[in-house]
Amino acid sequence: MFRVRSDQETTDVGQTFYNCELMSENNEKKVHGVVAEYTSVDTLLSACRRVRDAGYEKTDAFTPFPVHGIDKALGIKPTVLPWIVLGAGLTGTATALVMQIWMNSIDYPYIISGKPFLSLPAFMPVAFELTVLFASFGAFFGMWALNGLPKFSNPVFTDPRFDRVTDDRFFLYIDSKDDQFDRGGVEKLLGDTDTDYVQTVVDDDSSDKVPKPFFMMWGLVVGLSVIPLLVVLKMRVSHSSQPRFHVFYDMDFSPAKDAQQYSTLFRDGRAMRPDVPGTVARGEEQADLNYMTGIDMEALTAIDRPRAERLVRRFNPYFQGETESAAENETEGAGKTSTEIEPEKKPVTVGDGDSDKSEADEVPDATAEPSVVEPTPWLDSNPLVLNEKVLADGRKNFGIYCSVCHGMNGSGNGLVNVRAQKIISPDWIQPSSLHQETLYANKYPDGKLFSTISNGIRKMPGYAGQIKTRDRWAIVAYVRALQLSQNASIEQFKNLDDSERAKILKEQIEAKKALKDKADAAAKAAKEKAQADEKAVLEEADAQEADAREADVQEADVQEADTAKAST
Amino acid sequence: MSEHKALAPKSSDDPAFMLPASLAALRLPLCVGGFVLMLLGWWLASGIGDYGNNFGMSVYLTAAVYCMTIVLGCLFFVLIQHLVRAGWSIVVRRIAELAMVMVIPMGILFIPVLTSLWMGEGTLYRWDNPEYAVEHGLPGDVWEEKLRWLNESWFTVRTIGYFAVWTSLALFFFKNSVRQDQTGDKAITDKMQYWSGPAVMLFSLTTTFAAFDWVMSLAPMWFSTMFGVYLFAGSILGAHCLLAVASYVLQKQGAMRDEVTVEHYHDLGKLIFGFVFFWTYISFSQYLLIWYGNIPEETEWFYVRQIGNWGTVALLLIFFHWMLPFAGTMSRHVRRKPGLVCAWGAYLLIMHYVDVYFMIMPTVEEGTAGGVMGVLASILCVVGMVALLSGLCLGLARQNKVVAVRDPRLGESIAFENI
Amino acid sequence: MSLAIPNGLDNTVEQPGERAPLVLGDTTYHDITEAVCQVAERKPSTSWVIGFLISFALLQWLGICILYLIYTGVGVWGNRSPVFWGWPIVNFVFWVGIGHAGTLISAILFLFRQEWRTSINRAAEAMTIFAVVCAGTFPGIHVGRAWLAFWLAPYPSLNLWMWPQFRSPLLWDVFAVSTYGTVSLLFWYMGMVPDLATFRDRSVNKWRRMAYGVLSLGWSGSSRHWMRYEKAYALLAAFAAPLVLSVHTIVSFDFAVSQVPGWHTTIFPPYFVAGAIFSGFAMVLTLMIPARKMLGLENLITIRHLDNMCKIILATGSIVGLAYGTEFFIAWYGQVQEEKFAFTNRAFGPYWWAYWTMVTCNVISPQLFWFKKLRTTPWMIVLVCIFVNIGMWFERFVIVVTSLSRDYLPSAWAYFSPTWVDWSMLIGSFGLFFTLFLLFCRLMPVINMAETKATLAKQYHVSNDGEH
Repeated sequence: MFRVRSDQETTDVGQTFYNCELMSENNEKKVHGVVAEYTSVDTLLSACRRVRDAGYEKTDAFTPFPVHGIDKALGIKPTVLPWIVLGAGLTGTATALVMQIWMNSIDYPYIISGKPFLSLPAFMPVAFELTVLFASFGAFFGMWALNGLPKFSNPVFTDPRFDRVTDDRFFLYIDSKDDQFDRGGVEKLLGDTDTDYVQTVVDDDSSDKVPKPFFMMWGLVVGLSVIPLLVVLKMRVSHSSQPRFHVFYDMDFSPAKDAQQYSTLFRDGRAMRPDVPGTVARGEEQADLNYMTGIDMEALTAIDRPRAERLVRRFNPYFQGETESAAENETEGAGKTSTEIEPEKKPVTVGDGDSDKSEADEVPDATAEPSVVEPTPWLDSNPLVLNEKVLADGRKNFGIYCSVCHGMNGSGNGLVNVRAQKIISPDWIQPSSLHQETLYANKYPDGKLFSTISNGIRKMPGYAGQIKTRDRWAIVAYVRALQLSQNASIEQFKNLDDSERAKILKEQIEAKKALKDKADAAAKAAKEKAQADEKAVLEEADAQEADAREADVQEADVQEADTAKAST
Repeated sequence: MSEHKALAPKSSDDPAFMLPASLAALRLPLCVGGFVLMLLGWWLASGIGDYGNNFGMSVYLTAAVYCMTIVLGCLFFVLIQHLVRAGWSIVVRRIAELAMVMVIPMGILFIPVLTSLWMGEGTLYRWDNPEYAVEHGLPGDVWEEKLRWLNESWFTVRTIGYFAVWTSLALFFFKNSVRQDQTGDKAITDKMQYWSGPAVMLFSLTTTFAAFDWVMSLAPMWFSTMFGVYLFAGSILGAHCLLAVASYVLQKQGAMRDEVTVEHYHDLGKLIFGFVFFWTYISFSQYLLIWYGNIPEETEWFYVRQIGNWGTVALLLIFFHWMLPFAGTMSRHVRRKPGLVCAWGAYLLIMHYVDVYFMIMPTVEEGTAGGVMGVLASILCVVGMVALLSGLCLGLARQNKVVAVRDPRLGESIAFENI
Repeated sequence: MSLAIPNGLDNTVEQPGERAPLVLGDTTYHDITEAVCQVAERKPSTSWVIGFLISFALLQWLGICILYLIYTGVGVWGNRSPVFWGWPIVNFVFWVGIGHAGTLISAILFLFRQEWRTSINRAAEAMTIFAVVCAGTFPGIHVGRAWLAFWLAPYPSLNLWMWPQFRSPLLWDVFAVSTYGTVSLLFWYMGMVPDLATFRDRSVNKWRRMAYGVLSLGWSGSSRHWMRYEKAYALLAAFAAPLVLSVHTIVSFDFAVSQVPGWHTTIFPPYFVAGAIFSGFAMVLTLMIPARKMLGLENLITIRHLDNMCKIILATGSIVGLAYGTEFFIAWYGQVQEEKFAFTNRAFGPYWWAYWTMVTCNVISPQLFWFKKLRTTPWMIVLVCIFVNIGMWFERFVIVVTSLSRDYLPSAWAYFSPTWVDWSMLIGSFGLFFTLFLLFCRLMPVINMAETKATLAKQYHVSNDGEH
């Protein structure tokens, strides 16, 4: 099988010999064919052509590198390899797509980065990779299989001279299985070509036993490689009363440190971390309840003591007992709580009484609250000192949190609303315009506006968790400015002279007219478009009608949507 | 080594290197007819839509960009052949050289685009509309910065600059190549090879920015760093298709019958296949990244192209610009049949137009294709412009040879064989 | 250093119409066999032994660091909030990039019939595989519990009852890199079989003959085999070419599908691919130039080969430069605040030194290759290529670290500093790479003999034609 290069390899290279005398020796061995050696591509090719023209079919050439044109010269047919590869590639694509769709869209669907379960674009990369992988396997293994390799024993290898086929010699071989094969004739034919060496290929007479050490090594490797597998299998099926072996002790038992203990993890050696600057522990906040709730607590205590207490408790749970005991001790009621509430007096407006249930600060109790009709003493003015910075902050936060629904100008037509209108959302409630008179400061005090922002109203959620108290007040200030900006009357500008006043009034009128024109034009265009859409939809519906069974149902749906659209 | 000896190159004044009379006769009808058709299409398109001549100009720009990409693809083909000292392509290089000179008429055909920029307010490019920022609620400082790049004068200067660069490159390589037809001087090849490196760099810089300016800025707030490459991918594909079609037509009419062999079609077929893949790779990557990132600034462009009829066009592109030609040109047997290579080339040239159409037309004000009339007008306009350029190109070809007859590598190219 | 042109012929000069020879000297087929086989057959030279010992020591150090990391946890790296993708990912992308040259030379240049590839492709392919091995190490240990890394594979797990997440680019990466590694290995091995047969037939030692006999699968050089072999080779090349593009494209997706400013940009796929080829060629040249000198292969790896590779470096370097420019331009043109900040921060923020190192090494230094003198002076090439390697490492550093260290949450901004483990692993990965490469030089045919002989045959043929 594996033949060691013998001393015979030093046989003179250039010497021509027809080894007829050796034939008697080789008589009992099977003859596989005849091989001739050439020294250049050109001599090989011309020999090939002669052999082909002589009608031999079971021939082969052996070369150290691919020689172009030899397939023509020998009459070799093209290979079917590309078809194997195509099949393998398509299998790869199919495997990848089926695998991904099944795994991520059917068997174990879950939402990730907002993508659909079946995200074809996201499945493309893996589909491509597996196509290439399978196709490459097809090309690689297909080629070896078609070539019949690996095949370690080959009759042509018996001749030591044949070793040079991988160096610089070219060989032409005629197989004895060829119909025309006749040893003498073939040898003569080959001898006539430009060759120095013709040899009969006979069976390999070297030992066909694989050397023992090879088996030993192989057995050893296989044996050793099975051991880990056996260990794992044994572990999986057996039970043990011994505790588990912990490779990573500190991962299995994380070292939980107590206060005041030493730790090497931090540079200062303390296990306890100091608070982040600005941290306020629960119950330690020096709360100004007026500021936190938008309600004049003192007045509220006078009107509705239980509610005031609940509010205090909510913002300051740790002071619960104290408040209650204080209430018992103090006959004037609000005297003690006023230590927490900022003492400064504020003018109190009694609310208009239509307090929505959601404006109540204690949401769960709100429905059970008997005092819904009771007026709340809202703070009448903004506790912040108003300046440009406050307004700028208010504007910024309004832009972030409020404008998506209420619109940048507060007219109640933000992006979310536009979208909801567009998709005709059934449970959407139009956000309020902030420019209604009912929302002006005289009807809707600052404190109430603050409370609405904090706790929400109708569909609007509370923003207390997201916006800092100070910034909520800043929004209140900004909303007031916004209201002023849309409906300021000229009388509010004190330091204008008459000409300026007249100019502004004129501009105002013109602007109003322009706005009205624009709105009219838009309405007209919208109407036309709606009509066109209606027509298109109807046409479509007609076309669908011609369709099969469900046409009626569909049409009804379409018209329903249509009327909904028209009504908006 | 090979069994047949390749033919020795014919003498340089052999009739096989001349433009066949049948084609030369077409040049005037093509020019005149094309010009008329183009104007007709433009005129028809102008009547569509309410936003001034927005639709008409968009149709015109689509046609112009389509022709421009193919012309630029040919220019790049020539540059790259010199850069890599290619041997196989010499017999078809002259066709690309003739086509790339069409950059000069393209410069003239681009004047209406610039005129509309100066005359109208946002007729074609909406950033030119002073109301744009207000209408779209864009912050003033953002828009101000934007206008520093997108404004009439700077846009015009850049456009003129691009054409200046391309014209000088095209003329340099064309004139030298033609000069070699007479002199056969090998030093000319050396000279062209020497300058091809810097030329490719200039080319890539200008085309990247031209793609940004002419096409990407149609949606003023949208941006994609890949866009230049995207347009280029279609452009180089178009150029190879053009070469396949033109060689086939020329051979049918009797020119260069012995020179362009099945081997060259095989190579063109392979390159067409490769660039179909490249186009898919680039467009898919661009889509995937924007789809996955899902950021409003970017999705806008694909959003309008995914809904309604534009969505159908997008699917058309997937199936007929990628899958069908990809499967169709995969086989070696197809690539070794000149007729089939030519057919696929012609088919892909049409699909390339759909691709350009898909890039430009959804940005017209109404976002519609303008109905049957609009599509018809678009087709008339582009067919007219292509015919006009073909006519001019034939005129140029008549005065010169259709093969670089004395290129030192001509023999190598004729004898070339695929493995 | 003198230009090593053995028979006085400068094959970088090519007369139009005549192709300059790719194999120099009065070389015969047998000379090629000798030149390549002697590398593996003779006793290792002192420089090889020293190089191997150093590399092997570094490799051991890498192993120790990995054990330390697994035992202690990934906290030993400098990865801290907000830079959770620190050096390990930088190293991963760097090595994957290096791994692109080999398959590019083998596949794409093969498809473009660039015959000069024949004498460099084998070593370049080997580098591809070794670089992928180096690259694969980092994500493998980066998962924290490295012994559970097999969870990435989509296998029906009885413990987890769930599947991997195919909508994640990180999983695409697993498939891309493993497919790339596998296909490159097949391609490399398949290309080597005829040459391993040469080794087999030249072996005088029984065991050596047996080992190479098994490896060469009984290759006999039959024409039918060659025909199918060439077909398979062409097909593999046709698959490997888009595969090369896809791998770094998918690596770029890891970044670009996210919304991190500076990462989410559509030019990433082609720009990463160009960068990968750029760095890969630089690494190939850095290794090949000393190797050809030491191994005596100057007649096979000629100045013309170096010249051509320098041109590719120049081209890809310019593409990378164009991409940097485009990114900057679009960051301004797009007027998205975060993008604008990300790019200003790259160039003028706390990592300005990394950014300008990158620009200098990647964009400016390859421009030196416009000068032919530089392209044909080996030591100058090595110098520039080392700069390019440094620059490309910094490119990944800049992308990963600058974007992460200052993203959307200013309160979390921090400055990244590597630890000694980071440093050790980067250096250790070079140890792994060089160890494998040096072993390859000793054990495998470093040059594709069969293909080089075919090139030589063509050269003969051309010169014979001239005589007719």
